[in-house]
This record gives sequence, C-alpha cells and structure tokens, in this order.
Amino acid sequence: MSTLAVTAGVRFALLLGIGLAIGFALERFGFGFAGPWRRLILQRNGQGVMAQLVAIGLTAIAIQPLIAFAPGQMLGAIAPISLTMVLSAFVFGFAMQLIIGCGSGTLVNAGSGNLLAIVALPLFCIGSFLGTLLVPAAVAFTPHPVVSLPQTFGVWGSVGVTLAGLAVVGFIVARYTTEPLWNRKLMIAAIILAALAIVHVLVAGQPWGVVYGLGLWVAKGAVALGWDPSQAAFWTHPINAGALSASILTDTASLTSMGLIGGAALAAWHGAKDTPLWPTLKPWIFIVVALAGLMLGMSSRLAFGCNVGALFSGIASGSGHGWAWMLAGFLGSVAGVRGREWLWARASGEGA
Amino acid sequence: MSRRTGIVIVFICIFAVVSAEWLGGNPPDPYSAPDPMAFGSTSGASGAICSFAPGASQ
Repeated sequence: MSTLAVTAGVRFALLLGIGLAIGFALERFGFGFAGPWRRLILQRNGQGVMAQLVAIGLTAIAIQPLIAFAPGQMLGAIAPISLTMVLSAFVFGFAMQLIIGCGSGTLVNAGSGNLLAIVALPLFCIGSFLGTLLVPAAVAFTPHPVVSLPQTFGVWGSVGVTLAGLAVVGFIVARYTTEPLWNRKLMIAAIILAALAIVHVLVAGQPWGVVYGLGLWVAKGAVALGWDPSQAAFWTHPINAGALSASILTDTASLTSMGLIGGAALAAWHGAKDTPLWPTLKPWIFIVVALAGLMLGMSSRLAFGCNVGALFSGIASGSGHGWAWMLAGFLGSVAGVRGREWLWARASGEGA
Repeated sequence: MSRRTGIVIVFICIFAVVSAEWLGGNPPDPYSAPDPMAFGSTSGASGAICSFAPGASQ
C-alpha cells in the first residue's frame, strides 16, 4: 500500500486498503448477499438479509447528507430505472444464485481460492465489458427516467423515505422468517461494512462499486489487442475515456475490487490449507459457472450496478434504481435458487 | 491441491494484469494524484462508477 501511495497517490492506497478491509470482513464474518437471499428463500432464515438492511440503512444515514452538502466533490450512485435495467437485475439475481456469488461474493470467493468463482470471474469481467457495448443502445431505445429521492424529497426526506423503505422490507422479512431474526456476528459485520462504505465515500467521493472496474480491465485488454474504443459510445464519454487511458491503479472500483480479493485471501489463507481446490462435481458444471459469470457481468452493467453498486450503494444514495434492483433481483433469485438446486443435484450425481 | 493453490492462481492473474498494463506504457503518475480524500478537497469523485449511465439524464 505504501508503494501504491508513492507511485500513484495516497487516495489510491487508501482505496486499496478499504477494499482489503471489506474483503477481510466479508470473508471472516461470512457476510454476503446471494447466500442470505438463498437462506431466506429456502430456509426462511432472514438473519443475513436483516444484516444487509442494517448496513444499507447506516450507510444511507451518513452518505446522503455527505453527498448533498458537498456538491461537486461527492457523487451518489444514482442511476435510471428502465425495462432493460429491471430485466437485467432479474437475470443477475438468477445468475448469482446459480453460483452463489454476487458482485462482491464472486470476488471474495475467488480470493478465498474457490475454483468455481475463479472460473466465473474472468467471464464476469468479459460480460461487464460486453454490457458496456450494449448500454448506449438500451438507453437510446427504452425510456430511462432517473428517480432520485434526495432531489424529490430533499436530503432528510430522502433519508427518512430510505429508512422507512428498509423498515418495510425488514417487517416483511420478519413476518416470513421462522428463525431468530438477529445474528450478533452478522450485525457486527453489517456495522463494519457500513463504516467502510462511509469511509469509501469520504475518500473516493463516490459510493462503493464493483462492476465498473471489471469491465474496465477487459476494455484495456481489448485496446491492447487492437480494439478501437472510439466506435463505442460508452467509452467515448469523457469520464470513461479518461478511465480507459489512465492506470487501473488510479481507478476506484478496480482498486477496491483488487483489495476485496486480497482481503478475502488473507482471511481465508489459514483455512484454505485443508479445503480441496477441486469440487466433487461433474466437469460440465464449469461451463454452467462460466456462462453464469458472463450473465452476471452483462446484466450488472445493463442494470447499472450489481448487488453492491445498485442494491447497496444505490439504495444508500437514495436512487430509485436500487429499489427496483432489489425487487427484480430477488425475484430472479427465487428462480435462481430452484435452478441451482436442479443443476447441482445433477452435477453431484444425486439427481441424474 | 488445496484452495491455497487457487489463491495463488488469482494473485498471479491480478499481478499479471497490473504488470502488463504498467509495462504496456501506462504507469500511474504520482504528480497528478488527487488529494488523499475527496471530502473537503477540490478533487472530488472520478465519476467512473457502476451507476454511470451515459445518455440518460442524471
């Protein structure tokens, strides 16, 4: 990190450090997004989802005023809602349940040496890049209205609406769940995650995200192989063109994503010694996992974020697209959980 | 092989990506680095964010 501070800048070293801390916390505390949704759907266990809601709520209380009172310095994860955005969130929810790896989860799982995530991650990156090529067409051909709660209700009204929305979701989860609602370890993880997400906004000036960096890595590789980005509307926008021409060691999402992998590796290293690399599954499951990774990448780009950029940071920023993502992603997860059960039963030889 | 092998593979891949970009003529420039923190500084967010939707009214 000190090397990065000298060669690139202190801000970038801090972002790598934040990523490391997030990855370590997610892996060590077992905090995630896809897994808790699966446990809620299959086991009526809402502990993980309640922890997610607490983390998002705490983050929202801090970052919405920060962003509102520092215009020009701070940027919220505000994105439009559209038909393609909602459908893509559904597809993401489906695919993340197939491999039980969302945006952050795939990085953390890969960092902990999970072979399925290691196979999915490169395709996730490629999918994210392919999604950038489709975003301009999606924006041009379907209405993409932006619903910004801070603009609609003012900052404190937006915080109130966000917390009320989270409380409603929490109430529904509480009514549905048959297990104890609160888990001490997950709540500690939620508080840590919220604190790190707030620090991320203070340092980067924008909320935590994952997918942008993954697509950027492939875009840079494509340029090196002769691809002309001037033909792609997404990459000719000054912000994206700037990111494409700059080092990935100065890209916010890239640094936190690399940190996530590193932090998860640190947390998992000791236990990884006794865990076999190869899963006891039929080889064709790797093709399914690769396709799921591709779906995750493309859908998250078209949905303007994954579970981190859209669900976590979107809702915490007061973006309507975060709420639309939550609903569509959960419905996709309901289908994905069934798909996972069916596929894994055959891949393990139980349902063949 | 244990999952430690997987961790090492992932690290090699990340190191390869960063090294390839650096050696390809795109090292970071510390002299154009922004302030350590966006909050309270004149160098704010980069704008390169997942929710970025070029063409939509944001």
